[in-house]
Amino acid sequence: MSDAPLLAVDGLCAGYGGPPVLRDVSFGATAGQRIAVLGPNGGGKTTLFRTLLGELRPATGTLTRPARIGVVPQTERSRLDFPVSALDVALMGTLSTLPWWRRPGRADRKRARAALADVGLADRADRTFGDLSGGQRQRVLVARALVQDAPVLLLDEPYVGLDTPSVALLDELLARLAAQGRALLIATHDVDQARGWERVLCLNRRQVAFGAPADVLTRETLEATYGAEIVELPGERCVLPPHHHEHGHDHDHGAA
Amino acid sequence: MRLVLAYTGALVPAPFDLPFVQRAVVEIALLAVGSGILGTWIVLRGLSFYAHAVGTAAFPGLVLADGLGFSPLLGALATAGIVAIGVAAIANRGRAEYDSATALVLVGALAAGVILASDVFHSQGSVERLLFGSLLLIDGTDQVVAAAVGVAVLATGAVLGRRWLASGFDRDSARALGARSPLPDLLLLALVAASAVAALDAIGALLSTALLVVPAATTRLLVDRLRTWQLATVALVIAEGIAGLWLSVQTNAPPGATIAVVGGVVFALVALGRAGRTRLVAARGAVA
Repeated sequence: MSDAPLLAVDGLCAGYGGPPVLRDVSFGATAGQRIAVLGPNGGGKTTLFRTLLGELRPATGTLTRPARIGVVPQTERSRLDFPVSALDVALMGTLSTLPWWRRPGRADRKRARAALADVGLADRADRTFGDLSGGQRQRVLVARALVQDAPVLLLDEPYVGLDTPSVALLDELLARLAAQGRALLIATHDVDQARGWERVLCLNRRQVAFGAPADVLTRETLEATYGAEIVELPGERCVLPPHHHEHGHDHDHGAA
Repeated sequence: MRLVLAYTGALVPAPFDLPFVQRAVVEIALLAVGSGILGTWIVLRGLSFYAHAVGTAAFPGLVLADGLGFSPLLGALATAGIVAIGVAAIANRGRAEYDSATALVLVGALAAGVILASDVFHSQGSVERLLFGSLLLIDGTDQVVAAAVGVAVLATGAVLGRRWLASGFDRDSARALGARSPLPDLLLLALVAASAVAALDAIGALLSTALLVVPAATTRLLVDRLRTWQLATVALVIAEGIAGLWLSVQTNAPPGATIAVVGGVVFALVALGRAGRTRLVAARGAVA
């Protein structure tokens, strides 16, 4: 595994035409890293992801990214009433690997089935996507990003709404994806979970901190990230106030 | 010639032995390919209202063509095209704007057509034919147009179908996956407009959704895979078209309206049957 960064961001400011809603972002991601992206709703996580995907142009700063970045959205953003199987959804990953006039062939189907097997859903390939459980749908969307063959994956709060067994399965899957040499950026509100990963990026309209969890997840940084509203529990566990977990379809530019 | 007629007359039950009814059947079969396949995309992408509006928008174009003596196809395509472009232009602004604009267009087109027909060209007589079609007066041009639209839908769907599917499934992700160009969606809107225009002579401006939306909405209740859904919808358009045609000849009712009624009744029956079955299964589950 090489240490050359898959993703490098330097002095990045981004916004929606007006004043930047996210400033001074500088970090890098190398193969094998799981990076927790922490921050309040409206803190710039969505803006960062959209800039990394190339949908927003950086106002200033530089961005070095691979040609393909996979995105794993929240499953409720997709239409659950669509007449598609898990395999159909995984095959959507070929949109970026095939020229526009080519239809997915046998090799692509094989790859999509392999990706579904990779996320532990080989036996669910022909099930209707909307009939799967939330955790299974999340893993189908991960499989779609694998079919896309992207070295960098952006996951938008993948743990929201999952039950405990699904959380364990997803944990194990993300660890495996990182071990295969990918870099994962995972938007999350769960500070405890972030402690187990390789890097933490704290955003609150600007980059508050970036580094190893042990260095970053201090009381000062978390207060700077979330404001001074952190509830402290015995044993140094940091849990966020409940309203941070409320999940509307946040558009963080609206709050800026 | 007489021999052939006698032969078909023996094999084909009335009224399908009549040449103008046979032409109508061929027209329905040709229209079914385009409108059946496109219908599934219309239902999937939430374009039912647009399909209705764009069909109605062709009405003033038809009245103009009728009054000024140019090709009705040209007139219909022109006004439907203007509406398609207008709707596409505001489609990105949001659902509410899109719906209001479509409603505005629908009312405006209908009003403009009626005023043009009654006060400018004094062609009230043909208004009913333009709005509700005349399937029994189909000519060769209509069949060529229907066939051409069918081929265009098949070809475009084969190439762009997976983009239409991906951006309907989750627009943001589809962009991230590489479906960034607005062209596929614009082509979909254009094809819906072309399909509505192709169906005008057969079923009229106001009833084109009877072919474009109702059958696809009906089969959707029973099928949950895209390919099967498309095949089933094409088959249902043909079946409802022929059944409506037969019924209209038997009852001496206008064929376009009869086909629309048949489509509506079949949809209601299927929806009721499905609801009943769901309730039955739930009741059994409660007992067990």
